[in-house]
Amino acid sequence: MMLSRRRFLRNVGICMALPAMESFWSNRLVGATPAAAMGAGAGERMVATTATGAPLRTAFLYFPNGAIPAAWWPTGADKDFQLNRTLAPLANVKEKIQLVGGLSDLSANSGPDGGGDHARANGTFLTGVRIAKSGGSDYRAGVSADQIMAQQIGLLTPFRSLELSCDSIQNAGTCDTGYSCIYQHNLSWSSPTVPLTPEVDPRLLFERLFGAGPRNERQKNLLIRQQQQRSILDFILEDSRALQAKISGRDRSKLDEYFTSVRDIEVRIAQAEKSRANRPQPEVETPGGIPASTTEYMRLMFDMLHLAFQTDSTRVATFLMGSEGSDRTYPELSIADGHHFLTHHNNRADFVEKVTQIDVWYATQLAYFLEKMEATRDIDGNSLLHNSQIVYGSGNADGNRHTHTNLPVIVAGGGGGTLRAGRYIKYNDEPVTNLYLSMMDRIGGKPVERFGDSTGRLANL
Amino acid sequence: MSGASPVGAPDSGVVQFHQTVEPILKANCYDCHGDGAHKAGLAFDELTTKDDLLHNPQLWWKVLRNTRSHIMPPPDGPVPSAAEQLALEQWIKTAAFGMVPNQFDPGRTTVRRLNRTEYRNTIRDLIGVDFDTEHALAADDIGYGFDNIGDVLTLSPMRMEKLIEAAQTVVKKGVPSEPTAPTDQMAFGRQFLTEDGTKNGDPMTFYKDRTVAHTYPIAIAGEYRIVMATSVDGTGNPDPMRCKGTVLCDGKEFYSQEYSWADCMYFQNERVLRLEPGQHKFEFQLEPIDRTLKQPGKMDLKLVWMQVVGPLDPKAWPAAPNYARFFPRDRAPADPAARRKYARELLTKFATKAYRRPVDAATVDRLLKIAEGIYTTPGTTFETGISRAMVAILASPRFIFRFEEAMPAARGQSFVQVDEYSLASRLSYFLWSSMPDDELMRLAGTGRLRKNLAAQVQRMLADSKSAAFVESFTGQWLLSRDILHVAINRRIVLEREGIKPPAPTRRNFGGPPPPPTELTLEQRDALKREAEAYFSHVARDNRDILELIDSNYVFLNQTLVSYYGLPADTATGPEMRQVTLAADDPRGGGVITMGSVLAVTSNPTRTSPVKRGKWVLENILGAPAPPPPPDIPSLEETEKKISDRKPTQREVLAKHREDALCASCHARMDPLGLALENFNALGLYRTQELDQPVDATGSLMTGESFKNVRELKQILASQHRQEIYRTITEKLLIYSLGRGLEYYDVPTVDKIVERLEHGGGRFSELLMGVIESVAFQQRRVASEPAAAPAKPVSVVTSN
Repeated sequence: MMLSRRRFLRNVGICMALPAMESFWSNRLVGATPAAAMGAGAGERMVATTATGAPLRTAFLYFPNGAIPAAWWPTGADKDFQLNRTLAPLANVKEKIQLVGGLSDLSANSGPDGGGDHARANGTFLTGVRIAKSGGSDYRAGVSADQIMAQQIGLLTPFRSLELSCDSIQNAGTCDTGYSCIYQHNLSWSSPTVPLTPEVDPRLLFERLFGAGPRNERQKNLLIRQQQQRSILDFILEDSRALQAKISGRDRSKLDEYFTSVRDIEVRIAQAEKSRANRPQPEVETPGGIPASTTEYMRLMFDMLHLAFQTDSTRVATFLMGSEGSDRTYPELSIADGHHFLTHHNNRADFVEKVTQIDVWYATQLAYFLEKMEATRDIDGNSLLHNSQIVYGSGNADGNRHTHTNLPVIVAGGGGGTLRAGRYIKYNDEPVTNLYLSMMDRIGGKPVERFGDSTGRLANL
Repeated sequence: MSGASPVGAPDSGVVQFHQTVEPILKANCYDCHGDGAHKAGLAFDELTTKDDLLHNPQLWWKVLRNTRSHIMPPPDGPVPSAAEQLALEQWIKTAAFGMVPNQFDPGRTTVRRLNRTEYRNTIRDLIGVDFDTEHALAADDIGYGFDNIGDVLTLSPMRMEKLIEAAQTVVKKGVPSEPTAPTDQMAFGRQFLTEDGTKNGDPMTFYKDRTVAHTYPIAIAGEYRIVMATSVDGTGNPDPMRCKGTVLCDGKEFYSQEYSWADCMYFQNERVLRLEPGQHKFEFQLEPIDRTLKQPGKMDLKLVWMQVVGPLDPKAWPAAPNYARFFPRDRAPADPAARRKYARELLTKFATKAYRRPVDAATVDRLLKIAEGIYTTPGTTFETGISRAMVAILASPRFIFRFEEAMPAARGQSFVQVDEYSLASRLSYFLWSSMPDDELMRLAGTGRLRKNLAAQVQRMLADSKSAAFVESFTGQWLLSRDILHVAINRRIVLEREGIKPPAPTRRNFGGPPPPPTELTLEQRDALKREAEAYFSHVARDNRDILELIDSNYVFLNQTLVSYYGLPADTATGPEMRQVTLAADDPRGGGVITMGSVLAVTSNPTRTSPVKRGKWVLENILGAPAPPPPPDIPSLEETEKKISDRKPTQREVLAKHREDALCASCHARMDPLGLALENFNALGLYRTQELDQPVDATGSLMTGESFKNVRELKQILASQHRQEIYRTITEKLLIYSLGRGLEYYDVPTVDKIVERLEHGGGRFSELLMGVIESVAFQQRRVASEPAAAPAKPVSVVTSN
């Protein structure tokens, strides 16, 4: 069990005793669900389920500002490749990842829209469509890949999807030229105009998943909360219907956002009531709020994501490790300059070195997560990592020049045995959306023909 | 909204263009935008169709903005005369925009969700609870530089869930569930002090005696429950030491426990005591058990908290806190019919406040149903039922969003006044970031708000709640609130000036912390408040808003005096005080040289004249610089070209401007930014950078030259007054309307600028100009076709 006990304890503020974790294991939810049971009409095919009947999890992890290409790409090819400096921290899970070269996000190119590559890279990475250049009045992106998946399989789990971010602060002065900040702070979009605000606080995320309060009262609290929510749903839906008759235009679409959100809650409560008996409660203390150290913060968020996957609370998640264009400094690396500032290095050696160190740092956090996923047994005896497909990437390739071809992308996990990990594959300039289509195929359900700017599936994944 | 003339008729706008405007463009613009040249894709002589001239307001809006802010035409060439500029503007406003003079378009507003600040303030005023939205709710997205823009205030399922939870939390915290309640007093171990007041109860070592005490006042005689929480915090290594913890009330022992080693163990115990009215001293005594043992490592006992709850006899309970706020009677009537009537009264009142307009009977019926469903169930209370209905009210879209209603529109009318309740909300969320108070609601209810507008605005500005306006608007307009989080490395910044702060020493237990390389929270907060205090002064004392740019005073407190290295008696205490500057003060007043502004427009280790210049252009002069084109040499690249020494920022930029591609924009930004080189990345005044004297001289694109930043400020405030008025007007309009500005807002902005010109730039002219504007007072009649609900378009599925 890899849950960092000391870290949780520190975050609780008061020191408390923790019982053994074993009971966590005796209590696992069986994940196999026939597609027919959810009305997908796909016969006996299982959606988001591996061949052995375990849940298949999908995650998209985004890191900002690209990576120094010379230090990122490995030497060698296919199964015979050597990790370069940036990805050296992944040595322990080398056989569980695929380095995917030659993918591009052309929607992030400037085209007629001029500056704003960071807003575009962030806004297009999972949507694959050009985003409207707007300070706000008519912003528009597209449904993101994770949400296409969530729409198909969201009902299998208590949470349709989870959105995480380690960028908790929105500064008015930090958004990219001519684009609303909405593009840089959201990775997931449930409709072209509804971004899914990510959760930045590990404690709130935990309480949302498992309930608030002391460990032995969480289950009860979660239940009370849901009952109380249900008691007011009828009223607020009726209140919105009364409003609907009076309004038009953009106001109506705002009210639609409200409707959709309330219905989502309704469905979730119904789901929770069905699966209440099986719902596992992790035997861990609720974490504290946002740690001061970025490393601690990111690992704690990864702990939460791991916990969510382990307890089958969701099967789809996105994690914005840093907003594109992030100018975060890294005191833990003794780097006092901002990340974004440094990426415009124009081959100045000391800047390139610092950016590489930051790239290595991000890869180290990824390694922490992947190793933890690998060390956790799933219900079918395989590791959680084996039963996952996890994309780690950035919408910027070379932050110095704002290029969006040959993006740094890793596909981690075995996809439940459908991904041939432990390889370095090079494609000949294919849209990154082709990768998402290939991942959607592995989830099953209704086949998606095209997505964003996709041109097909990735062969040889 | 464009006023096209009948088909076939010669269009006067086109005729006018050829007569008046074309010659002006020909004389001043064709070098780059005509006669075969089409820089930036624009050639005026290729705009030949009626559509080009009369139905392309976006293009002409750009022409208007660029010529007004002197971005175009560039210097060293012909410049239109004032009369020509006026003629061009007239034609654009009437013909290209198709707007009738003196008719103003209120524009398209989108219903606004309460943002985090507004939610917090509204809950404070409605329930009397301070709810920490910064922590509980996700950050709001920002558009047009502000976080209150209706279009981008989205509502995801997660946020909705959090809002429902917030409703439950604040009602539970603020609305009593019974008429009476036991008192509940809680004190943390840190509040339990030793007799000399130097040490406390969290933590205490096992190895030393310690007695800590705290006093609880008791008003009603009776039995009280005392709950004590303690914990043992050892290390991984077992320790043989044990200790005894004894708890006394007024010198009498009532509980004791023996503690032994644990890595981590938490205890909670309770006892019941009878207490008489008066002060009661509770003591916690720690005694080591085996005094011969020497301390091998760290093992602490912590008194985490102690709670005193009572009296326990319900008959003796006093009125619950906050009870009268929601329940005017001591108790709900027992008779069911009277009870229902009372419930209806309460819910009508509360829903009216929360929805910020009268609530219909059908809604109250449904609320009543929720309340009765609870309080008619045995084992519950009347108050719990009302509370549940209140939660529903707070989760309703009518609370979460600010829906507006309009006065009835006459046939053919395009714009109509918003009703007085909507106006009350527009005013209160503008000036208070909160709900309308009773007085505004009363005036709106009797249709007298518009008649008393000026007096109400006065009253609202004088109310302490207007601090929310000052804080939100100033912090976002100037970016000064970003100082709370921006990364700055003090050590590296100072080293550039040859100042070596003492080397960080290793932190010792109990010793002083190492000198921070970062700014302290106190400094950051003071820097943020400096900008707010200054703006607040201009607003409340109704000063000329040009004082925001140039003045002979600043606002400082003790923290800032020491931060800026000024004589200690310049200002004392935590409050911001106005300080008049000496005539030769190199810094001068105004927002441009405030520490917060200078720091947030710097890089973490050094100044950025480019960012600073860009900031002045965008936020003061309203002439934003375009983003750098891709693949241009960066400043760092340029820096490398000077290899014999480390170049100053001025030298680097001079080199950079040698590239014609860079020069076009940098010639506008750099002089503004370089004028601020006397201030380092912390915003501190300096005369040297890298052992060379700072040169802050320069000249603007428009020709004026200056020797230092004070002269620059004077030039801006005198020669660029109009641009400054216009920029501040635009920022305030965006903030007050919750939307970005469009071409049709130009007449509205112009009218307010004119008003400022005639009114000596007084803040009240600006504020009333905004509030009395058509954009603030009216809305479009909902004739525009309802937008189709957003459908995912990026996916194609097949079966």
